[in-house]
Amino acid sequence: MNSSADLVARACQGDQEAFRLIFERYSRPIISFVYDLVGDRELAEDLTQETFVRAHRGLKALREEAKLSTWLFGIAKNVARESLRSRARRQQRVELDDEAVLDLSDRGPEPVDQLLDRELNGVIRRSLAALDDDKRLVFTLKIFHQHSYEEIAEITGFSIPKLKTDLHRARIEMRRRIGPYVGGLSNEV
Amino acid sequence: MKCNECLNLIEQYLDGEMPEREAEQVSAHLIACANCAREFEVFTAEQEIYARYDRELEIPPSMWTAIAARTAADENAIETRSRSGLRQWFAGLFTLPRFGFAFSSAMAVLIIAVAVGVIYLRNHQEQKPPLIAGTNNVSPLSPLIKTTEVTNPEAIANGKPLIPTRAPAKSSKVNQPARMNPVVGDQGGLLFTDAAYTDSEDRDTASHLEQAQNLLLSIRNIKSDDDEEIDVTYEKSESRRLLNENIVLRRDAEMGGKFPAKSVLGSLEPFLIDIANLPDKAPAPDVRQIKERVQKTEIVAELRSY
Repeated sequence: MNSSADLVARACQGDQEAFRLIFERYSRPIISFVYDLVGDRELAEDLTQETFVRAHRGLKALREEAKLSTWLFGIAKNVARESLRSRARRQQRVELDDEAVLDLSDRGPEPVDQLLDRELNGVIRRSLAALDDDKRLVFTLKIFHQHSYEEIAEITGFSIPKLKTDLHRARIEMRRRIGPYVGGLSNEV
Repeated sequence: MKCNECLNLIEQYLDGEMPEREAEQVSAHLIACANCAREFEVFTAEQEIYARYDRELEIPPSMWTAIAARTAADENAIETRSRSGLRQWFAGLFTLPRFGFAFSSAMAVLIIAVAVGVIYLRNHQEQKPPLIAGTNNVSPLSPLIKTTEVTNPEAIANGKPLIPTRAPAKSSKVNQPARMNPVVGDQGGLLFTDAAYTDSEDRDTASHLEQAQNLLLSIRNIKSDDDEEIDVTYEKSESRRLLNENIVLRRDAEMGGKFPAKSVLGSLEPFLIDIANLPDKAPAPDVRQIKERVQKTEIVAELRSY
């Protein structure tokens, strides 16, 4: 039996293999999430490591009925935010150059095969970085990790109306930036 | 429903966060209204783009090694602390009493206790009504003792969880995390049309079908004999994730002329849509209906045979 509840119970008893399975199961979504928040590959790796170390220390505090995934995302969010705060002065946010986006869009129609281009990945990454912290957090949890509003509220501590507003605004901002790559996308919501 | 209402609700509808009845109204409006349907298509096109977002991240093997080392060090530290604590406790049992500081400390505590008791007794007697003032069976130390008795050990022991946690979930049949980047793995800069990508695409499809198979098995194993509502929160969110992947993989299979893959992904999609559209607390008949279809169509066998 390798359900999350079993793995947590075994890991609490000191079963290192069970904790390794938890790591294998959740490390990819966690590193993606952290990377979306901090925008730095190496830092994301370090913070993912820190997330799992903290999770290991706090496993016994995890209520049996609680959802492991939500709990881990909550820890990852705290770890990422602490890191962002500590490097706030040094951080140089990469703002998306709207002119550049328009130039790219003028190269011609954007068929589906171009969507996988590295360029588009770069645009999404920069567009995410240009969102403010709360919007980026909510957008990432909903769009990339398909968490429900209720789960996002638990992870972030935001009220549901706030997170819905942030999500809506984040969608508008993201649409403005990736719109040219989607061909027929309208620029208004 | 008017267009304005529909457009206000469209994101909630897309996110699957809408009560069933309202969702039906939005669906009906989207069928009838071309403008709103176009707007909805824009949202779904964006979702597809986000589903293809590749961060090109890998989990370095050294990460687990470092975590294992740190967690082992944590455990050793705890063990050492508890062992040394135990040793001191045992040592204390066999140590001859020394009356230096211990005696003076005990005397100090006793004096303070007596002083506090006297002060308390005086105040207590002054405030007591005449009937009670006559009784002598109240120990001056009793208020102190009472204070300690009132303390609830559970209140101290139960610390708050580190982060907010969820309400109890009734059923969580299969617990798998949301897997990211379903289509694009580490391609090392290869373009979509490269042969290496095709291999990785096949692997992604196989992995996707395996996860879908687990999901369907999980649905099939849900006990739905009673007419009680069933908590399908996990299955629903898993299904939503797989549905996004499925759309992308099916289109890729179609574009790449991989018709067996396209066919099996096409057969799977309606099940994912149905599960994704269940309410969190799904009525047992709805779940039963999906279970029956899973069994009847032998979709699991089809996925397995791919």
